[in-house]
Amino acid sequence: MTVSNTSLGTPVLASAWDRLWWGGNVEASTFAEGVDHVFFYIFWVSLAFFVLLMWLMVYWAFKYRRRPGVAPQPSPSHNTALELTWSIVPTILLAVMFFWGLIAYIPMKVAPANAEVINVTARKWAWGLVYDNGASPLETEVIADAAAPIFALPVNRPIKFIMSSQDVIHSMYMPAFRIKRDVFPNFYTSQWVEATKITHRWEEQEKKFVPVNPAESKGYYLACTEYCGDQHSQMWGRVMVLADADYALWKNQQADTSGVSLPDLGAKLYKSKGCNACHSVDGSAGTGPTWTGIWGKTHEFTDGGSALVDENYLRESILEPAKHIVRGYANQMPTFQGQLTDRELLALITYIRILSDNPQDKAAAEEFSARELEESKAAKNAPAN
Amino acid sequence: MSGHHDVSYLAPKETPWKTIWSWVYTVDHKKIGMMYLVTTLLMFFLGGVAALAMRLELFEPTTTVVNQAGQQAVEGQFFKGWEFTEREQLVTANNVYNRAFTLHGAIMVFLFIIPAIPAALGNIFLPIMLGAKDVAFPKLNLMSWYTYVFGSLFALWSILQGGVETGWTFYTPYSSSTNWGGVTAMVLGAFILGFSSIFTGINFIATVHKLRVPGMGWFDMPLFVWAVYATAILQVLATPVLGITLLMLVFERTFRIGIFDPALGGDPVLFQHFFWFYSHPAVYIMILPGMGIISEIIAVQCRKRIFGYRAIAFSSIAIAGISFLVWAHHMFTAQTAASNAIFSALTFLVAIPTAIKVFNWIATMYKASIAINTPMLYAMSFLFNFTIGGLTGPPLATLATDIHLHDTYFVVAHFHYVMMGGTVLAFIGGLHHWWPKFTGRMYNENVGRLGAVLVFIGFNVTFFIQFFLGTQGMPRRYATYINEFTWMHQISTIGSFILATGLVIHLLNFVQSWIGGPAAPRNPWGGLSFEWETDSPPIEHNFPREPVITHGPYDFDTTLPPHCDPREFPLPDPAQSARYSH
Repeated sequence: MTVSNTSLGTPVLASAWDRLWWGGNVEASTFAEGVDHVFFYIFWVSLAFFVLLMWLMVYWAFKYRRRPGVAPQPSPSHNTALELTWSIVPTILLAVMFFWGLIAYIPMKVAPANAEVINVTARKWAWGLVYDNGASPLETEVIADAAAPIFALPVNRPIKFIMSSQDVIHSMYMPAFRIKRDVFPNFYTSQWVEATKITHRWEEQEKKFVPVNPAESKGYYLACTEYCGDQHSQMWGRVMVLADADYALWKNQQADTSGVSLPDLGAKLYKSKGCNACHSVDGSAGTGPTWTGIWGKTHEFTDGGSALVDENYLRESILEPAKHIVRGYANQMPTFQGQLTDRELLALITYIRILSDNPQDKAAAEEFSARELEESKAAKNAPAN
Repeated sequence: MSGHHDVSYLAPKETPWKTIWSWVYTVDHKKIGMMYLVTTLLMFFLGGVAALAMRLELFEPTTTVVNQAGQQAVEGQFFKGWEFTEREQLVTANNVYNRAFTLHGAIMVFLFIIPAIPAALGNIFLPIMLGAKDVAFPKLNLMSWYTYVFGSLFALWSILQGGVETGWTFYTPYSSSTNWGGVTAMVLGAFILGFSSIFTGINFIATVHKLRVPGMGWFDMPLFVWAVYATAILQVLATPVLGITLLMLVFERTFRIGIFDPALGGDPVLFQHFFWFYSHPAVYIMILPGMGIISEIIAVQCRKRIFGYRAIAFSSIAIAGISFLVWAHHMFTAQTAASNAIFSALTFLVAIPTAIKVFNWIATMYKASIAINTPMLYAMSFLFNFTIGGLTGPPLATLATDIHLHDTYFVVAHFHYVMMGGTVLAFIGGLHHWWPKFTGRMYNENVGRLGAVLVFIGFNVTFFIQFFLGTQGMPRRYATYINEFTWMHQISTIGSFILATGLVIHLLNFVQSWIGGPAAPRNPWGGLSFEWETDSPPIEHNFPREPVITHGPYDFDTTLPPHCDPREFPLPDPAQSARYSH
């Protein structure tokens, strides 16, 4: 076990009380405790008022219920002392809420200078994250029936997300960290966070996350909280918190894809870049055309033109998606210009070619991939000069 | 004055044709109010059906399973069978859900809650409570209703055009870029409805200022009038901003003029500012009239002078004023920390007059004579739900906690506790309270109580659990969700059907009463405001002659209610009453 030290924030099982309020999102960042303290201050104040008011209402409704022929008893309809009390006391309690809430909020807005930057790109309907070494998460996990990228954060170290959207407004919400920030198409927003509890170890050899506590094995999640259309409810991300060393290993392994064959890389990118939100690989139509069996076929466009689906057409479709719209579909896709390396672009094209229904194309793509993988590995192992 | 002015406003004319004509061309505020009542209730039904459909979709999360034949199949989608291809675009179950919640929100806000209380019950009772024959501008009043119908037709037209899936808030650039054709029609519909709302507002302001019966000062008005008056001010001042905003959105969609869409050089956050500058005051357009109804029900059904009359009246005006200063609290995740701090502080100011109202209502029950009938059950339901709705406001006004709770089910639960548990329950309570007056028929009290209890239980089962869905991190406007939330969504869905059952029971009770209910006396509850002095239902000009004000609307200690048996509504010992007389 790489993690046994509780000072590193090994999760302890949350109490039933915490589970009731926060579900799987019990305090997991440096902000969370402060936020929850304010929340429970408001809760207890509210509960006290609620119980008092409802008790009076029900008790009086019973005690003073109408009896035939009995008149109401006269009582004052105005009492300055009472009315001042019930105006001033709530005002003070509310003022405390405001200031306490402000004090707990300010740290969220002031990122430490040494925070590691992660660039976040939101689009319909996927989150793209790029780490400072160029890594993007390759692995995905099905959350609410959609493949969501799995990304890691280091424990006890500040991370700053710099976010932008490629289409409409999205909002990045990580409930366990108590953070949420809208993501806009016309300017950058940022949000920082410092996770406090390790959820997983990174198994370097098997390339998988292993939960440090089997009872809380899932890690946290990231969700979109600004309505963005059809698959707004399927725009998730998985968040794993790792110890520093594990985090460094994971990040380097995600950045280095030279050992992954083109079709495998393409299949991973298909999910991790969110292509799967709109394009199926089972032949069914989605928001966009399927990828299966399109290689070598002709795509008819809405402007009356057409093109053969080949390397050049696919490259153009990925980098300049609005140029030609396949008939029967809408202009929905954002550009991936600058978000894919040349090899990643090739990987996606090769993946689509593998999905061809022509055996010759399949075989040619496989042969090409095997040769390319050798070259890719060789290029990586060659000494830098 | 010819004799036919002394007959009920509901009385049929000589021929059916003339009867129909007497409605469609009427300038009688009561008939216009009734037409508003029927049309808004139709919209409530439509919005309610959309809500139930949403709850069915949310009964289970969407999952993909592999069946025995090895094929993938999607499970847990109520809207699965609703998928089809339309306008060269694939309609998914998610898309149907998104259109359902947009329809639900837009209809409930623009076509039901905003007009329901002021334009239906307000129209019928505001002039009568002032002792007036009609509103100040009767023809404008009729035009307001026709404008409402015209606007609703646009909204319905948008459904025929494929619906709207932007959410009722029409946030840009989503709304300016989405392909669904219904957006422009729905936005134009809301724009037109705004005029209807402004007409009603102008009318009520003028009526309250000019048509109070001689001798009736501002502080002799029933609190329902105060509440509707405060609402009218908001309608007149805030609605134009919505109109301008929606028109700009239509221009952007139609002529590609860049205002809000960054792709055209616009600013999406600007839309949010404009939108909430109207839509936050609109929240008070929705709740203030409900508060007015509650003041009436509690005073009359408790036979008690309302505690702190002036505090309640002024708090309505204070809420109306402050409501213009808090709009950006809808945008804490969108804007800078400095604006957030300012708007958070301003938002807390609303809580104070709101709390004072609740304290006053409950204090009114002290030493009262409380009839536990359907209207009073609704008043108590209101106090219960509205207090929860009010107390769950501060976590959303507080910056640190709102960041977590914003756009989650906590917000959904909070505003349903205020809008549905507050306003709509007050509206249903008010319908029962005044039903004998405006229809001239009594309803079955036991059936009414049964409905009230079912609505109370159903409402709370539906929405209470949603607070926990919110704190646990379930975002709103989601067609599907993670498995952890399933059981809570299922409780909520079950609750929504209990709620619907209660509402159907009320509907049947009203239909039965309308057809064969016993004739209502003039003053079944022993009320003191003017509406209880006239016939049930009132005659065309409300009163045979201008009424004379001899007592305040809440002088229950000293005044025997008109047209009532004094043995049923006895007065307290005059010596005791004198100690607290005004």
